[in-house]
Amino acid sequence: MQLGRKKKQTIETVLYTLPAIILVTVMMYIPFVMSGYYSLTEWNGIAKEPVFIGFDNFITLFSKGSDFAKSLIFTARYTVVFMIVANVFALALAVILVKKLRTANILRGIFFVPYIMSMTIVGFIWKFIFSQGFAKMFEMTGLEFLNLSWLGDPKLAFYSVAFVGIWQSVGFYVVLYIAGLQAVPSDVLEAATVDGANGPAKFFRVTLPLLGPSITTCIFMSLTNSLKVFDIILALTKGGPGGSTYSVTLDIYREAFQNNNYGLGAAKSLVFFLIILVLTQLVLKGSRNKEVDI
Amino acid sequence: MISKTMKKKLLSVLLCTTMISTMLVGCGSKSAETPAAGTTEAGTEADASAADTAGSDEAAEIYMFISSPEYADAINELIAAYQEVKPNVVINYETTQNDYPTLLKAKLNSGECPDIFSSTSGKEIGTYLDYSYNLADQPLAGAMTDSVKSVMMSGDEVHGLSIKGNYFGILYNKGLFEEVGIAEFPQTMADLEAACEKLSAAGYTPFTTGFAEWWVYKHCFQTFLDAAGKDDVEGLVKKFAAGEAKLSDYPEIYDDFFSFIDLAVKYGDAKPLEADLSTEDAAFASGTVGMMLGQGAWVEADILKINPDIQIGFDGYPVNDDAANCKIIGGSDQALRVNKDSKALQPTLDFLNWWYTSDYGKTWFKDVAGVIPPISDAEAPDMEVVKQGSALEASEGTATLSITYSTDSFHQAFGEIMQSYVAGTIDKDAACEQIESKWVELEGAE
Repeated sequence: MQLGRKKKQTIETVLYTLPAIILVTVMMYIPFVMSGYYSLTEWNGIAKEPVFIGFDNFITLFSKGSDFAKSLIFTARYTVVFMIVANVFALALAVILVKKLRTANILRGIFFVPYIMSMTIVGFIWKFIFSQGFAKMFEMTGLEFLNLSWLGDPKLAFYSVAFVGIWQSVGFYVVLYIAGLQAVPSDVLEAATVDGANGPAKFFRVTLPLLGPSITTCIFMSLTNSLKVFDIILALTKGGPGGSTYSVTLDIYREAFQNNNYGLGAAKSLVFFLIILVLTQLVLKGSRNKEVDI
Repeated sequence: MISKTMKKKLLSVLLCTTMISTMLVGCGSKSAETPAAGTTEAGTEADASAADTAGSDEAAEIYMFISSPEYADAINELIAAYQEVKPNVVINYETTQNDYPTLLKAKLNSGECPDIFSSTSGKEIGTYLDYSYNLADQPLAGAMTDSVKSVMMSGDEVHGLSIKGNYFGILYNKGLFEEVGIAEFPQTMADLEAACEKLSAAGYTPFTTGFAEWWVYKHCFQTFLDAAGKDDVEGLVKKFAAGEAKLSDYPEIYDDFFSFIDLAVKYGDAKPLEADLSTEDAAFASGTVGMMLGQGAWVEADILKINPDIQIGFDGYPVNDDAANCKIIGGSDQALRVNKDSKALQPTLDFLNWWYTSDYGKTWFKDVAGVIPPISDAEAPDMEVVKQGSALEASEGTATLSITYSTDSFHQAFGEIMQSYVAGTIDKDAACEQIESKWVELEGAE
């Protein structure tokens, strides 16, 4: 009887999850294994048979002057800037917005609106602002920084892209931080006040440590989102000017779908997958260790 | 109680099984069902047509999946006209706004090659040879203009046809040129520089460049490449792709092309790397800009929409002191191809031959599509660029559409390198070195 029931349960579990497993296998695991195979071949996506070339693609990847290395550096810079600025800025905004401001609810909405807009639309809006908008504002105000070529100068283009990326997604992190801040128990804060802690001390010694789970989530999300950055760049600069804003994902897209090097593209995405895997695990471990419980 | 939970469980088990079975059925049935459905459809159609017409032709279905969505309306009209000639032939026309190559590849890989598909001309003619039919013996090949045919060839075989011919060159504002006292469009570099000085002294911007677009560079570059390659541009491109030639050995490229770019930046838009096609259109149409770079016949309609009164002039790129090098470029960068393993090969060929040689087809290019005809025996549409282009083609000939000897992968990389050069992050020698290595890396392997 007991055994029969267990057996039945196992069958049920398998049966219930089977549709999801099949779908995930067909859509994710099988393509993953296939791209593993394609990364060892030279294939233009058109020819009927890919040519097996062993590890040549990986050697090309790391050879001198490859675009992949350049795009890795760009993505690393973008990730660092995005993680730091987005998180600090979002936390600051969240702290202000949990105060009992009369406009707090409206402001929360305003900061969140860019996040629900599509990245492509955000990109085109900002492309317009950077070109025509800034030109008009320069005519009116004469401020020199408005006359810079924000999307046309390879050095400035990085900051323009990073700025728009942060502007778009900061609302999302604000919401996460607000949720975290509201969960900080008020009795602990009151106790700190009784103990004579002033504002900054209360924030850094009580609130911030108790925000651990939120910070972990936000750092993790901002890390993966900035590593995967793609659409905002495609809409703003298409990787230009002069290839100065190619992220790894955009570089993979270009290699596979524009240059028709599916093999090399697959190799790049595999290497990038490994980098993301290692990075996220490290960051997750690191920030989990720092979390405190009450 | 128990029975209720039992029922619920039974229900979910049933649901699960149905879902899985639908999925499996959905996956499996395709290959089995499609041909059957196809034959029945064709069958009924044949019956219907046999009943009501005297059409002796066999019923056929042509699947046409091509790029160039801007001509969708015109092509639908063409198909409708063909329906009157051959009511039994059904043409399923499909086009797409973007990412055509990816979609085509997906179709080819899943074994359903369209009967008519597109690629770019020139080098890509070779890429799709596995799939495409040799049209050399067809009447349409005889009707094609030489400049279009030359970029459809693979050896002696003709592997494509085109919706339109095209002209590439510099558009200039005739009114402004007359106002500052330049009677004729400059044919040499020295004259061009003098013209720029006159224009900017009069308070106009001599150039709008479009340097934010990677493809503008290739359109500018090809005249200089033609001048460097002389009679065998294709051979020269092959040498570059094989790494056997250096850009610095060709003064038309190393000196003339780069000084042309320098000149365009010096006398061009305030923010050259933000100037894209729409910026260029707007600037030129505003009537304060002398010349528009990197474009051709396709921008005229858009410019006239903004400013119907502008007087457009059209000429080639001055290369150096030799005025003979300053020629417009003609040809077609898109090709339509015929699937050689098509089940409806003969009906497809009949349709295309009818398009290129029938009376309706000949007028279609001008009256319906409003494009430069790719066939020699047809009238050109009433557009300034086309009129002046065909006059120039008749008087001094056209240069080769040499961009088609390299793929767009290379041209995009080329455009990015030139953007770095324009931005000042690399100098001329570094740019040349990068161009040479990209040429080998992206084009040499095949």
